[in-house]
Amino acid sequence: MRTRGLLWLNAVFPILPVALLASATLEGRVELPKSHSAPVQAKRYQIVTKGGVLSTQPPLAVVYLDGAFPQPASLPTKQVAQKDLTFLPSLLPVRVGTKVEFPNLDDTYHNIFSYSPAKRFDLGRYRPDERPIPTQVFDKPGLVILRCDIHEHMRGLILVLNTPHFVMTDTTGHFRLGGLPAGRYTLKAWIDSRTTREKPVELKSGETLHVDFP
Amino acid sequence: MSPAEQPRDKGVARFRTRLFTAMMVIVATLTGLGFYLAQRKVTADAERNLQQTFQAELSSLHKLEELRHAALADRCNALAAKSRIHAAIEDNAIDLLYPSAKDELRDLMEGEEPPPEQAAQSLHARFYRFLDSKGAVIKPLNPYDVGELDAKTEAQLDLGKLPDTQQIGYMQENTQAVGGSIDEVIAVPIFSTDTGDVISALVIGFKPLELEDKYTGMKSGIWANGQLYLPALPRSTQASLNDKLAGELANSDQGENYFHVYVGGAPQLLFYKRLNPASLFPPAYEICVYPLSYSLAQLHRLRWQIGGAGALLLLGGFVASHLVALRLSVPVKKLVLDSEENRAQRKRAEAALASTAEELERSTRYSADASHQLKSPVTVLRVGLESLLAREGFKPEIYDELSALLHQTHRLTGVIDDLLLLSRLDAGHLQIASTPVNLSQLVNEWLDDLGALPDSPDVKIEKEFPHGLFLAGEKPYTSLIVQNLLENARKYNRPGGRIRVSAHGNGSEVILTVENTGRTIPPGENIFERFHHSSTPLAVSGHGIGLNLARELARLHGGDLRLVRSENDWTEFEVRFSAVDSVNAVA
Repeated sequence: MRTRGLLWLNAVFPILPVALLASATLEGRVELPKSHSAPVQAKRYQIVTKGGVLSTQPPLAVVYLDGAFPQPASLPTKQVAQKDLTFLPSLLPVRVGTKVEFPNLDDTYHNIFSYSPAKRFDLGRYRPDERPIPTQVFDKPGLVILRCDIHEHMRGLILVLNTPHFVMTDTTGHFRLGGLPAGRYTLKAWIDSRTTREKPVELKSGETLHVDFP
Repeated sequence: MSPAEQPRDKGVARFRTRLFTAMMVIVATLTGLGFYLAQRKVTADAERNLQQTFQAELSSLHKLEELRHAALADRCNALAAKSRIHAAIEDNAIDLLYPSAKDELRDLMEGEEPPPEQAAQSLHARFYRFLDSKGAVIKPLNPYDVGELDAKTEAQLDLGKLPDTQQIGYMQENTQAVGGSIDEVIAVPIFSTDTGDVISALVIGFKPLELEDKYTGMKSGIWANGQLYLPALPRSTQASLNDKLAGELANSDQGENYFHVYVGGAPQLLFYKRLNPASLFPPAYEICVYPLSYSLAQLHRLRWQIGGAGALLLLGGFVASHLVALRLSVPVKKLVLDSEENRAQRKRAEAALASTAEELERSTRYSADASHQLKSPVTVLRVGLESLLAREGFKPEIYDELSALLHQTHRLTGVIDDLLLLSRLDAGHLQIASTPVNLSQLVNEWLDDLGALPDSPDVKIEKEFPHGLFLAGEKPYTSLIVQNLLENARKYNRPGGRIRVSAHGNGSEVILTVENTGRTIPPGENIFERFHHSSTPLAVSGHGIGLNLARELARLHGGDLRLVRSENDWTEFEVRFSAVDSVNAVA
């Protein structure tokens, strides 16, 4: 299977360099807020509210290339599970139009809802064996705050973006975005519910641009 | 009762009246003081009792309210824990706030309003509202579900900021309308479960709990936003009470106090207590008006009791004062008696003095009249006798007789002259012109005359005085004194007796002493009395004026005439005159 795949890759090889040559890459670092709390175990992170501002803990950023991109016919379905009375993942960036499943992996009821302007929905109470798994399609860009009516401390974020080019930074703030089309764009870094930094970028095919968000 | 006793008894009665009046004043003062103290005590007791009642009722009310507040706080905490409420507030979905809270607060608004006695337990709200982060009211989309409020009332809920703690306020609805109602408003902060911050506040309006009136006739109400709400009283009374309260509350920084008011003409005690100290809402006060009828009745009863006691005291005082007056009046009576006697004595003495003076005047007048009436007939008599004596042809015995009669007329003239002089003396009309009189010469002349008298007995005359001894006086009167003394010395002498005349100057006085042998004057006999006649049987001619006149004249000259002694065949008279210094000095 692996060999065959390689062969297939080899078959399309002549195109590949063109595609590779035509795409640009962005890398850099986002200056993340200092984390005040102790590092969360096992690379897990969660959503915290501070002064009405929601962010991840430890702090992470979502870097995305804003612009008009053609909408594909279909988008892969994503998942935000409820596990151990938290959302997993807590922060999910998706492209507009993405369908998200909300499987309940706990042994208890959950009632996922959102009052966010970007998406108001209420899945009602459901148990882990609920089939089909409740889903929502996020068709409007913006930040959607996920809550559970039963477990009021649960918070999840879905960042609905217009663009297919987005990536989450690591905990140090480093990011890398590849396969980008050349052109003038605005590069944005979502840091928390109230803070999104942006920088104009000009991407050239085959080049790697280094952008830091101070 | 004799007339003399009447004024005495009157005095005693007056004394008794005064004593009784004094006692009455004391009893009246004591009674008045009793009244005053009792009134003060009753008033203070009534005020204290009512204050305690007020406190007790308020504290029971506060306990109910605390229950209600605790229940509400629980409700708000539960509400704050609700994800949907948080979502609505935090996720900018205010439109979903009231619908989200509706389920949670459904029981607050549902059902009929409970009767007042179950109000505390029922948690039945009149309305509720949420406040946004600035403390302003979040307008509900459907006010019907959350209790409708007019804009004015709703505006009163705006706190300006979110409260950290439960706040209690009171506000009137439909202030304009008759029968407007008052709401108790409780604002409960809603804390974020994540951050602990206050993200909103729930403001719930209730019908306020009412104080229960058991037996005092108390009327209670609430004063909020400068307006009194006390539906048990008529509006006009409320308005006047409101003015009074506003003034009182403006001047007082105390949370509670009381003062006296008149409601419907009856005295009442108005208590007030701040219901929401340190609240963000405007100050509100619980107002209770207690009628003072109970304490007034008590006061009335006490007044009767004290009045009765006072009357008894007065009666006792009357009896006591009567007894005391009787006992005290004995010495007073005696005092009155004594003074009465003194007065009578004085009156008698005065009457005697007056009669004496009258007699004196009468006798003076008599002397003067008698002298004048007597003088003219004597003169006629003498002239007649002299003309008869001058005629010839009578027998020699008749001439002797006529001569004796003529001598008698001369004596009579002398007596009359003396009387005239005496009357002038008595009337105070006699005044002397004081000139130096040579006493030595005067005495010598009279002694010569004495010797020349036809019937002079065989007496030896001794003289012992210097020449030129002068006195101050008028010669005729001085001469009269000397003549009188010398004539008496001769007249009352015995045959073969002697007369001793001596005189000497003594600085300011000249003293003449006339002594003679012969019959003595019995002791106790007042020889200086006018018209005095010796009690001795051996009568000697004399008219009884001489010594009296001599003494009066001596006194008129600033001197005196006195009898020095009269015993053992020896009588001594002494007369003193004022001396003439210059003349005596020369002599």
